[in-house]
Amino acid sequence: MSGSLRRTKAIAHKEVLHMIRDARVLYLALGLPVIMLLLFGYGISMDVDHIPIAVVDQDHTEASRRLVEKLVAGENFVVVARRDSADETTPLLRRGTVTAVVVIPAHYQRDLARHDPTSAQLLVDGSDSIVASIALGDAVGSLETLTPAAPEPPPLIARFNPAMRSAYNFVPGVIAVILAMVSSLLTGLTVAREWERGSMEQLFATPVRRSEIILGKLIPYAVLGMLQTLLIVTLGSWLFDVPIRGSLALLFGASALFLCAMLGIGLAVSVITKSQLVSVQVALLVTMLPTTLLSGFMFPIANMPWILRVLSSLLPGRYYMTALRGVFLKGNGVDVLAPQLVALAVFSALVLGLGIAKFKRRLS
Amino acid sequence: MTSVAIEATALQRRFGDRAAVDGLSLRVEAGEIYGLIGPDGAGKTTTLRILAGLLDAQGSVRLLGRDPFDARSGSREVLGYMPQQYSLYGDLSVAENLAFFREMYGLSRDTFRARRDRLLALTRLAAFRDRRVQTLSGGMYKKLALACALLHEPKVLLLDEPTTGVDPVSRRELWDLLHEFLAEGMAIVIATPYMDEAARCHRAGMLHGGALLVEGAPNELLVAFRHPVFAVRGDRDALEELLARDDEVLAYTPAGARLRIVVREGHERGVLARLEAAGARAEPTTASFEDVFLARMREERSAA
Amino acid sequence: MKPAISVRGLERKFGKFVAVRDVSFEVRAGEIFGYLGANGAGKSTTIRMLCGLLAATAGEAEVAGVDVLRHPADARRAIGYMSQRFSLYLDLTVHENLAFFGGAYGLFGAAFRARRDEVASELGLGALGAEITGSLPGGLRQRLALACAILHMPRVVFLDEPTAGVDPEARRTFWRIIRRLARGGSTIFVTTHYMDEAEYCDRVGLMVDGRLAALDTPTGLKRTFAPGRMFEVRGARAKEVAAALPSATVEPFGAALHVRPNDAQVGADELARVLDARGVAQSGVTETDVTLEDVFLRVVGGAGAS
Repeated sequence: MSGSLRRTKAIAHKEVLHMIRDARVLYLALGLPVIMLLLFGYGISMDVDHIPIAVVDQDHTEASRRLVEKLVAGENFVVVARRDSADETTPLLRRGTVTAVVVIPAHYQRDLARHDPTSAQLLVDGSDSIVASIALGDAVGSLETLTPAAPEPPPLIARFNPAMRSAYNFVPGVIAVILAMVSSLLTGLTVAREWERGSMEQLFATPVRRSEIILGKLIPYAVLGMLQTLLIVTLGSWLFDVPIRGSLALLFGASALFLCAMLGIGLAVSVITKSQLVSVQVALLVTMLPTTLLSGFMFPIANMPWILRVLSSLLPGRYYMTALRGVFLKGNGVDVLAPQLVALAVFSALVLGLGIAKFKRRLS
Repeated sequence: MTSVAIEATALQRRFGDRAAVDGLSLRVEAGEIYGLIGPDGAGKTTTLRILAGLLDAQGSVRLLGRDPFDARSGSREVLGYMPQQYSLYGDLSVAENLAFFREMYGLSRDTFRARRDRLLALTRLAAFRDRRVQTLSGGMYKKLALACALLHEPKVLLLDEPTTGVDPVSRRELWDLLHEFLAEGMAIVIATPYMDEAARCHRAGMLHGGALLVEGAPNELLVAFRHPVFAVRGDRDALEELLARDDEVLAYTPAGARLRIVVREGHERGVLARLEAAGARAEPTTASFEDVFLARMREERSAA
Repeated sequence: MKPAISVRGLERKFGKFVAVRDVSFEVRAGEIFGYLGANGAGKSTTIRMLCGLLAATAGEAEVAGVDVLRHPADARRAIGYMSQRFSLYLDLTVHENLAFFGGAYGLFGAAFRARRDEVASELGLGALGAEITGSLPGGLRQRLALACAILHMPRVVFLDEPTAGVDPEARRTFWRIIRRLARGGSTIFVTTHYMDEAEYCDRVGLMVDGRLAALDTPTGLKRTFAPGRMFEVRGARAKEVAAALPSATVEPFGAALHVRPNDAQVGADELARVLDARGVAQSGVTETDVTLEDVFLRVVGGAGAS
């Protein structure tokens, strides 16, 4: 075996020993993703239900009662208060006791039967715009069927996600965020740790090359990363009923490339900062934050100002997100996702090259 | 025919506005051990790091003709280096550390086994092969670090205070180990605060303020030493107070129950009289290398 | 008068490994007590138990009148401890380090400042208050660490290899300070690998493999373990000399050899003649003092230290 290969292998082997003997690394690598998945998955659901509302029924007829029943039928809304006028509900909205108020005017039933213009009013607490828009959407959905004689609007079907289940949106995104965070964190520590412990001095006195050190350290974390991916893909798909419509091989292939990019960032940061403390903070800043905010995970890229869109196009997270959604939900194949894979590969090569180039064989 | 194994020319290195190494030149031949001595901050570690190509500096270094700053020169294959700070892997065992360095140097299995077993026997660490390095005592750690540096049988060995914090018995064992390899033609530079170790070197250089004050073979330096040395017996506390204030006494060290003092050449009469008045008895004795070093340091400081 | 330190049957095991085995001794108030031994012989472990930093697995120990094994927190008030890798904050100034350790022992305000200035001037740190600790050379840092350890005027001071890696001059200054402390009534318990420093101690204990193998004054130890006269033989090879003088002790000492013949009547000239007669090359024989290093080599060397 050539010297270079032997040395790279020895660095990788040593890294594995360090990993095994520091239990915290393993907890971090395998425990944290699971916790984050559960938190994100269950905790932050965009499916809001049991929205508390107040009812102001000024008609007291069967039609008005049926309106209210329709609203609460889907468990989206729960009536927690009844008042006689809209003004009386203002304090409830202010205090947050109710998120919305349904106001049914007098003569509602009579006007409805006579085909005279009438309408029920939905007052929504807009201070939490996300909940507000959901509430509006839900209400509209529930009430649509009540307007008689209006021509049937074309049914709105959300393809790929018919029930508009937010889990479909979240789980692929969470996978990307978790991988970004944990992998850059772990590699962010490894080079800096050798500097801080003093073992780098001894290492540089040997024939080992910088590229061998970087790649040798990369390999065990890449393997660990693939285990993490397997873990959260399986867990996420099973717990939240998210289908995997595309090829698993493609999923893991894209993940491997994304991992290289994230691990590479961690290594480059570790090389440049030489301090574990700084490494961790910078690595998280540069991987988790952009992946969460700019990859299309929570906020649509199309809505962003042009500068952020440009920034987003430089992030591996964005390409990985597209690939993930593509494989999970659309069943896309390599033909469609080739550009994303190439982008990830290019980014990985660049960032690993940066790490190697910035790695100085000198003590300062 | 001797060959120059280590050659450093006009090394210069600053940290901020302080010159850590200032115009230092050095030559060590194969089979020679060179002692680098000096107080804290004199530049010993900096010098060794420059020689190993770990710290940039002006001037040039050649190890067996190879430039340690040039990654392609193959200097690493012939260099063994033992840093002052702890730099082995604490969470790995003795055997695992040795195996790691085997891979770094690409040793074959049989070669490695033979050398490893020999080194473990010489350092008496064989019984501790599976112990984690962080649990080793200071002396054992240093022996292991030396073993790791010797594994690939380098032709050039740079040691930064390898025996500091090591008990006298272990120190002798380390030196025995070094002598074995010296006999095989290794060139060694050892930075040491121990004068008796400097005295065991073929040549020694005293570092002060980043430059070599004095350099030469210890016994030659001893022969050339002009200041008389006395062994003084008396109340040690009182004596030390007295001697500390006496400008004609260049140095004093405890030696057993007595004190060795170095008196400025030509001033023996006055000093001895003062000592006698204080109730002390003085006897002339042979100078040791430590005397040479301390006296020189003292002269340097008074000149400054 | 009650001893400052009293140890009986002290033992410490780590799993099956016995680090300290059945150690008993007493140290008088105001004494400088040296503790020597090979690396790994159990010195640091013993000190840590006596400082209340490590529990013992058996035995009793009383320091400054307090049962340190059962009431370590109480004992710590009367104990000063300077560890091997001393814990100064390198990015703080000298005064800030002193303030921190003073505060840790409950010294604040005017009382602290008075004590700080007293200690700083006694240890020669007076002018360095605003210096960043990390920029000080080793010898000065050592003194600062000692200063931090004695701020609260402890009756017993434990020093674990306080002068490791420091040059000879600085070490000498440090010991002058220690001896002044002892004269002032403090009891000093110190471990060191520098045998010349050990000569300054009133009594010295030698640990080998966890046991106290010897305990006496330096003179007493020399008489017991290296009796007779000691000679420095230059320019000779140890093996040759040992072969020529089978009943003598021969040890390398720096570039020369320390030879202690069995017969105390033999002088330097006679020894030289004997060596010449037996064909041993040598370039000079002079009588020299027996040192604690000779004692150490005798006691520890034979026992197969690691």
